Amino acid sequence: MPEPSERRVVITGLGAVSPVGIGVDVFTSAIREGRNGTAEIRSFDTTGFPSRRAGEVNDFEPSEILSVLRPDEWGRSALLAAAAARLAVRDSELDPAVLSGARSGSIIGTTSGESRVVQDLAEQWVVDGLKNLDPALVRQAPASQIANAVNSELGLTGDAQTIPTACSASNYALGYAYDMVRSGEADFMLAGGADAVNRLTHAGFYALGAMAEDLPRPFDANRSGILTGEGGAALLLEPLDHALARGAKIYAEVLGYAANCDAEHMVHPDAVSIAECIRAAHRKAGVAPEQIDYICAHGTGTPTNDATEVQAVREVFGDRMPPISSIKSMLGHTMGAASGFGAIACCMALQEGFLPPTANVQQVDPALGEGVDCVPGQGRAAKVEIVQNHGFAFGGNNVITILGRLA
Amino acid sequence: MTAVSAPPAVTPLAVVGCGVVSPAGYGLAPLAEALRPGGALAGTDGPGVGDYPPRVIHAVPDFRIADHLGRKGTRYLDRLTSLALVACKQALEEVGAPETDQQRTRTGVVLATNTGSVSSHTSLLRQSYEGDKPYLLNPAEFPNTVMNCAAGQVAIRNKLKGLNATVAGGQAAALSAFRHARIAMSVGRADRLLVGGAEELNAPSAWAWQASGALGDQASLGEGCAVFVVEEPGERPALAHLLACEVGYHGGSASSAGDGRTISGGLAACITRALDRSGVRPEEVDTVALGATHHLGLQGSEEHGVRSALGRLPEPVRAGAVLGETYSAGGALQLAAVLALWQSGQGGTTALITSVGHDGNVGALVVRRP
Repeated sequence: MPEPSERRVVITGLGAVSPVGIGVDVFTSAIREGRNGTAEIRSFDTTGFPSRRAGEVNDFEPSEILSVLRPDEWGRSALLAAAAARLAVRDSELDPAVLSGARSGSIIGTTSGESRVVQDLAEQWVVDGLKNLDPALVRQAPASQIANAVNSELGLTGDAQTIPTACSASNYALGYAYDMVRSGEADFMLAGGADAVNRLTHAGFYALGAMAEDLPRPFDANRSGILTGEGGAALLLEPLDHALARGAKIYAEVLGYAANCDAEHMVHPDAVSIAECIRAAHRKAGVAPEQIDYICAHGTGTPTNDATEVQAVREVFGDRMPPISSIKSMLGHTMGAASGFGAIACCMALQEGFLPPTANVQQVDPALGEGVDCVPGQGRAAKVEIVQNHGFAFGGNNVITILGRLA
Repeated sequence: MTAVSAPPAVTPLAVVGCGVVSPAGYGLAPLAEALRPGGALAGTDGPGVGDYPPRVIHAVPDFRIADHLGRKGTRYLDRLTSLALVACKQALEEVGAPETDQQRTRTGVVLATNTGSVSSHTSLLRQSYEGDKPYLLNPAEFPNTVMNCAAGQVAIRNKLKGLNATVAGGQAAALSAFRHARIAMSVGRADRLLVGGAEELNAPSAWAWQASGALGDQASLGEGCAVFVVEEPGERPALAHLLACEVGYHGGSASSAGDGRTISGGLAACITRALDRSGVRPEEVDTVALGATHHLGLQGSEEHGVRSALGRLPEPVRAGAVLGETYSAGGALQLAAVLALWQSGQGGTTALITSVGHDGNVGALVVRRP
């Protein structure tokens, strides 16, 4: 039983602009194969950096996807979000006029907002001083331009809400959008996230000692951290009745979600609080632990995250942990888009019947304990009915969404 | 089949506490004084490093976080987070911090910001560009650069384990926060929320305003934070009841591809929807707190939008004329201004808070005096 509500909410469109490919079909086949999406950084000068890899979307040409926005007027994060949203709407086959004529909007998560624009402004500051900032860049700089770009591209006059709650932001966006559609605040919502690879995030994670030496290896005995990544992820949420009436392809029903805050430490995750969030999400979705077929992990690949995450999962599931894998092993850590890509992977796992893998795993860390099936290497065919998508963030923000195949 | 449905009616949310840190000082009383005729604040120096553009600056005077929270654990807190922490401390002092695990789990934070702490961000970027090694950043400062730093720190300091949201929505960001709080409460996500907006003054942002060309010459730049404790109306005396909060986007191509509304038309529609959902008639609105003060082009659009929705423009309250432009915190400080007037025995019973942004975001919040 989903949360009591007037409307059941389903996901009917998916848009992915990711380091392993653009479009949900390309994205899905890459994920199934366990393909590596990281490479030498091209977007900024890495001179002096010991680590020079990231998951960039090198083949992203905004004008090939966008119908309305002029790419030179928006920052990279905004363009990634708008392109993902446009792809999601095309994928849904919903008439764009029906979408824009209804009470529709977007909730888009991000960690660093328009980081590439801010980086360009900082370079202007260093070179020319503060008095010569480019007005066009200044207009692109607020994080709010990310959701604004989605609404602008799709002609939506409802909420244009950017949620900058760091690395669980797109899961929070998905939850908020779900609440809006099920409560009747909105008819259709685009939910997702976007971030761009940039110098400050790269340097910051290095300074924290959280950067992988070569590749991200979540759950591996020799995991050393993350690689930064980027992308845009978008999901179209629609009332179930409407989707059925138009004969839409339904990827998943949003069964429920929970969000809480560790309130302990800005950067260290807390297993007790994560376990509480998992239990709350199960309660809200009306599911029991034994019904969960797969967990799409936050799985950053830092020693601390993966140990804490497994500990929390074990606390709820006991010794019967479902398969738990990390797509960050392939994409890098796409920050505010990460749990959005997780949600897309979950939808495709339900749709095609497979478990997304954790790439780059050589030896599952024995310190994580018995029974950790991280689906090493490549995806695996499986019967998948209900899945759980994790997102954790700086600030102690945990958000867990539960998606199910439409029953 | 159409999905278009009528939005549900709203029930009031009670504001049971508030914390305000503004250029006028701490709390509602100095804000009420500053809003009186002749109460204008003198300009101040701009905080932080770097020269400011030639424009009047209204900083929170002599603000030092250690004076409020002590030295322990406050050394690396940025100004934005510090302002938010002090406002939240004040708000919780009025109603009491949550005491049981259950209360902590059911108390959350919704805070508006559009860029996070620009001073933190730019300081670290400069460390990266100008230091010996591009990756030698102070790791203690790095978490300050994420935009949810303030909300996270508020949760840590006060042990608030409920939902923790940060929202960005341009000039309308604080109204987005009220709207999110409303919706989250209506579906039972929390029992109590701290909701508001925060903004810090810093030289890069001040120059960014200058470059944007958005502000008229009379506009000053301000900062501050206003936070409100909201819950279902109950035993506790309320400072105000928040009714419907509606937002919309009418920027860029949304106006042409969507319903063809301009910003003023979009705002008018937003106000009408908010009044309808609140069960308030346009003629009942006796106070309007406007957001776009001294914004070139926008000030007129906002007034026009209000006039077309209400059929008139009641004598507006302009927090921005006194405190300066406060961007993410604007809508929250507008609500604080209305509460300040009510608490000092002025004003009427039904207020409307509006926001419009150059980016196309509009918002309207209906507030009733209990």
